[in-house]
Amino acid sequence: MANEREGDGDDALVVRMGQGDEEALRELIIRHQDRVYGTVARMIGGAGPDAEDLAQQVFLRIWRAAPTYRARAKFTTWLMTVTRNLVFTFCDNRSKRLVVSDVVLDEEGEEVEGGQESVMERNPRDDLSGKELVQAVRLACAHLPKKQRLVVHLREHEEMEFSEIAKVLGVSELGAKSLMFRARENLKNRLAEFFTEPS
Amino acid sequence: MKKTRDEGGDGLGPQLGKLWAADPVAKAPPWFAAKTMARLRREEDRKRGWFGLPRWVLLGAGAAILAVGWLRWDSQPSVADAELFAALDAMVEEDRESRWWAGL
Repeated sequence: MANEREGDGDDALVVRMGQGDEEALRELIIRHQDRVYGTVARMIGGAGPDAEDLAQQVFLRIWRAAPTYRARAKFTTWLMTVTRNLVFTFCDNRSKRLVVSDVVLDEEGEEVEGGQESVMERNPRDDLSGKELVQAVRLACAHLPKKQRLVVHLREHEEMEFSEIAKVLGVSELGAKSLMFRARENLKNRLAEFFTEPS
Repeated sequence: MKKTRDEGGDGLGPQLGKLWAADPVAKAPPWFAAKTMARLRREEDRKRGWFGLPRWVLLGAGAAILAVGWLRWDSQPSVADAELFAALDAMVEEDRESRWWAGL
């Protein structure tokens, strides 16, 4: 996923976008659409119209910000920061009506009361071997506070360094590692039944 | 799972990482780029008014025309009473001559 050569021309594309070159935006979208869409989908609980809309908004924001872009960090760090802003706002707005179970975790990873209904309820048809595991992982992921969820995704899927993850989240590197630690503990508890050997 | 990190390290660890990877990350649909570009053009067009000019330019021009009209309304030329009465007298005189010629 993390292809160093791939990132070589991103800054040049953004410069061209700043001059109004729509073709540069198209190229940038093609390069990063899976990264952005995948991150959004992971964060909001699945692919679909909402994920598509949010991912489009990310690229439109990039387009509008291009004229004033200054390469202070890797382009992907900026891209993920824009994605984080939009996704977190979406999650905050949705959180009033979206609760994944009768017990949810706050940002510190503590259980808090307040759930009314489950949007990730197990579907009886899915309770079959592999599907059951996928469902359990999705459920465990949905239970993670959004910062922890994003840290795990950026680390495990995007293979970003903690220094970059820290910039994306606006926390210290130690803070990012701490979020990862808490996420790991939460996931361990949620997915304990699927462990093949004691950890 | 692309990288293996030890359990106590900075990743999820082999077991959790494997479980996490069981739920694959979604890929963008094939039409994503085309739809995003179409949305961009739609939004850019919405920002533009007539003749390809930005909407704020047209609004500014409209406001300027209204302001000039309002200022000119205040500074309309005044007509002195003597000039007005002279004009009215001339109209009455012309009417009288017309009637005389018509034999009225």
